[in-house]
Amino acid sequence: MKRLAPYWIIALLTACPAAYAAEPPTPELFAAMIMTKQQQASAVPTSSGVLWRAPKGAWSRLGPEIQLVSSATVDPHDPAHIFLACGNGIVRSRDGGETWRMVTGWREADVLQIVVDPQSRENVYAATAWGVLVSHDGGESWRDASEGLPAERLAKGIAIDPRNPARLLLATTTGLFESTNCGAVWRRVDGFPEVAALRICQSETDLDRWLVGTEGRGVWRSRDNGHTWSPCAPALAQANVYAVAVAPHDADLLAAGGWTTGVWFSRDGGDKWQPAATALPSANITAMTFDPVHRHRLWASTFEEGTFYTEDFGATWHSAHLDGAYVFDLGFLDLKR
Amino acid sequence: MCAFFASIRLSRRTLTRVPWLCLACWIAWTQALAAESVWPAEAERLAALEQRRERVIDEAIARIDPQDPSKGSLFDIAATVSRGENLDWARQRIRALNDPPSGAMFWMHPMVLAMYAGRDSWNEDDWAYFRELWRTYFPYRGDTENHWLMYYASLYLVCEMFPEAGGEAWYNGKSSVENMEEARDYLRDWVRVTTSYGQGEFDSPNYIEEYVRPLSLLAGWAQDPEVRQIGRMMLDYILFDFAVEDLNGLYGGAHSRIYPRYTLEPALTPAASHAWLLFGQGEYQSTAGCLMLALSGYTPPAILDRIARDRETPYVQRELKRTRWRLRHMGPETFEIDGRVTAPVYKYSYVHPDFVLGCCQGGTLQPIQQQTWSLIWREDRPRGISNTMFAVQPHASPEEGTRFFVTDWDTVTDLIARSKVDYTAPDKLEGGSPYEQIFQHEGTLIALYDIPEDSRFPHIHTFFSEDLTARTEAPSGWIFAQGGPIYLAYRPFAPGEWRPVDWTGLLHGGAGGWVSSNFAELAGKSELYHSEARQNGYVLQVASQRDFASFAQFQKAVEALPLKFSLQGTPSVRFTTLDGTQLTATYGQPPEVNGAPVDYADWPLFDGPFGHAERGSEHLEMRYDEARYQLDFTDLTRSSSTPSQQ
Repeated sequence: MKRLAPYWIIALLTACPAAYAAEPPTPELFAAMIMTKQQQASAVPTSSGVLWRAPKGAWSRLGPEIQLVSSATVDPHDPAHIFLACGNGIVRSRDGGETWRMVTGWREADVLQIVVDPQSRENVYAATAWGVLVSHDGGESWRDASEGLPAERLAKGIAIDPRNPARLLLATTTGLFESTNCGAVWRRVDGFPEVAALRICQSETDLDRWLVGTEGRGVWRSRDNGHTWSPCAPALAQANVYAVAVAPHDADLLAAGGWTTGVWFSRDGGDKWQPAATALPSANITAMTFDPVHRHRLWASTFEEGTFYTEDFGATWHSAHLDGAYVFDLGFLDLKR
Repeated sequence: MCAFFASIRLSRRTLTRVPWLCLACWIAWTQALAAESVWPAEAERLAALEQRRERVIDEAIARIDPQDPSKGSLFDIAATVSRGENLDWARQRIRALNDPPSGAMFWMHPMVLAMYAGRDSWNEDDWAYFRELWRTYFPYRGDTENHWLMYYASLYLVCEMFPEAGGEAWYNGKSSVENMEEARDYLRDWVRVTTSYGQGEFDSPNYIEEYVRPLSLLAGWAQDPEVRQIGRMMLDYILFDFAVEDLNGLYGGAHSRIYPRYTLEPALTPAASHAWLLFGQGEYQSTAGCLMLALSGYTPPAILDRIARDRETPYVQRELKRTRWRLRHMGPETFEIDGRVTAPVYKYSYVHPDFVLGCCQGGTLQPIQQQTWSLIWREDRPRGISNTMFAVQPHASPEEGTRFFVTDWDTVTDLIARSKVDYTAPDKLEGGSPYEQIFQHEGTLIALYDIPEDSRFPHIHTFFSEDLTARTEAPSGWIFAQGGPIYLAYRPFAPGEWRPVDWTGLLHGGAGGWVSSNFAELAGKSELYHSEARQNGYVLQVASQRDFASFAQFQKAVEALPLKFSLQGTPSVRFTTLDGTQLTATYGQPPEVNGAPVDYADWPLFDGPFGHAERGSEHLEMRYDEARYQLDFTDLTRSSSTPSQQ
């Protein structure tokens, strides 16, 4: 099994020497969410935005309180450079969250995920409900980059191949698409079904391994860097899988969860899957991530019934609160604080 | 003239008719004169409009208790500061309302209104307070057409107030110049798309207000001549769209969005309040849209006033609209506009002096609140009267939700129902259905349904108002009734049963907040004709009472009309209307009128006696008698062929 250092470390060391000379950033858990449980007779959730969790467990706001923020991303070259993927467009901070600016205009909307090229900070990509946006000036300006996508181009997620950052994989509601030229043209990934791909992630230690959660077709994996795909987790074969995760320290440790499924683990790279030994208060899983610091720690968000973590594959769960939240994305940001 | 007559060689038979012809000419001439006198002189119209404006502002101010800063809206504040009154109260109240600010674009536009209306009244502390709000509160842009229009109109105007402000002054980090440029560009594009392909959130008796408000802001306060002109011309445009289906102040026909309580009483709608203010129709009621119109000083052109009020002659009004932008599950007939997918909506309304019957083709054209067809009839004082009829195939599905919203498949219907509480109710009164096909010829409407077995609510229901009288279920299968000045005949193709409106009790029980306020009173004893046949359909024939000697004669005439339908396999129907037109429809196929398929391909943007607009034209011509009023959005000009009347 190939094991490589996490690509953000490689990028940091090679592309941005000033960054590691300073105090290294610490990965902080974030949740992009809206508070919906108490939302009655109203179109407006009671709270929304991105929260980050301090080591002692308190949640604090990251960035402005905007109604629909789907995700957050930190530039691996500069931890003070933060992007928020918003309904309004893309909101960016260049000073670690002190000040923020909308860097998109009226034509850009419903941004769902943002990724930064690990080799060149100039290249930033965004998956949106209306296709793909690309910036070649570090997020200052954006243009549409949806050529080759069908009319239905709702892109839920986007990922960069760190060994070849010109290559991108796009999870859309009509399947998986690939670009090998920085988003200039997209083509459908053969062998992946024409179903909604809801979440895509890649192992940080074995870059050939990818995992995708789908709508109605369960979990799919690739072991050859996204060139061929096959279904795994037969018990989830017909599920809507909103969350998939690969442990950053162990490419064999996977997790998946979706609507009514609860959390499932695989400890052998996806050959065999088992449900968490203890059920969460809700079996509706909306987001998940493994912890980069605490080995084997998995964080999982349920629909409106709280966010939890486990360090023993679900034998016990610890509350991380966020009761009532609908968490769209859960992950770690290398914030400089 | 004598020489002209002398030169005509008239037959003896014609000559014998000359006295009668002269008499007819004289009658026509005097009637024409009389018709002209129906319309007030322009000065009179403007004076009456000004009086109504003042009343709207007066009543908003009268609601204020200057001793009680715990009550009052931003609109009330705008009204009173526009006259420099109750300033202490206004200062306290505006701070209370913004602790903290909320509501996104529904906060932005009344804040801008209050700032502009009180421009000469607010002091330095007030301005500093306002600037801080706009620096720190980050409003959501929203996810509908009206949201974006309110957002960008407000953003433009507030930045125009402080044109030199840099990015540090605004919540989004952009300078005033950048924000104004973005807003102007959006507004131009919205105008282009609307006047080329049709409005996406079209003909809503409720949401017309959400267009009138931001456009009033632009028309009333924009300093930039182009932006101000966009406000004025699009108000003309949107109000024309209403005026051609206006029956004594009520908005007839199919609607993109309507709330349940307003389906029951059309006179309650904001559209009706706008008709009172602008055209003097119906009765006064307070709405924010009216207040904004009143404060803006917008004056509709005289031709619009006449189009809204002249209901002497029945006519067909055809309009092309489009669906809301679609994200998934695109459906048939879709097309792209600048990378966004939509589909055409074919509206057809028959506007009669006594009623308006209108429909669109069916399908899920809009999420949640579509009214696919409706009938309203004339009432001189329509408040408190349920002068309407419509039908619904209740449909709620993740497919519909995800077609229009980014939300996930498993949460979308639940989250829709958090605000539109009746979305998942089997007895809801609004909403489109993918299993419904509607078609109309003048006063006759035909609906066919082919509902799959696994549909969430495999039934249809048709609303019969308590204000229909003499409802009769004839042995022939027709259900007859009288409503105001009309007769109607409804022929269900499958049997049904009578149920109370809101039989689940959801809205009666108060769910949904203001959506269900006084719902029990509004529903009254009205009923739904509920049918659970999945292959289904009906014919509705409407006629004016003036065309029949009696109700019995109407019933006899309808029962004599040839009607053949089948629900075996694919539902189909053939019906000959009261005027002898043969209508044929088979579910899933284009309907036919006298054997010719309805030509949807050439459906114009607007077509009727009062105006015309071609697809893609960015142009509208309003017509009234010889008068012409042109809106040319390519260069944002208005012109009139009879300037003295405008």
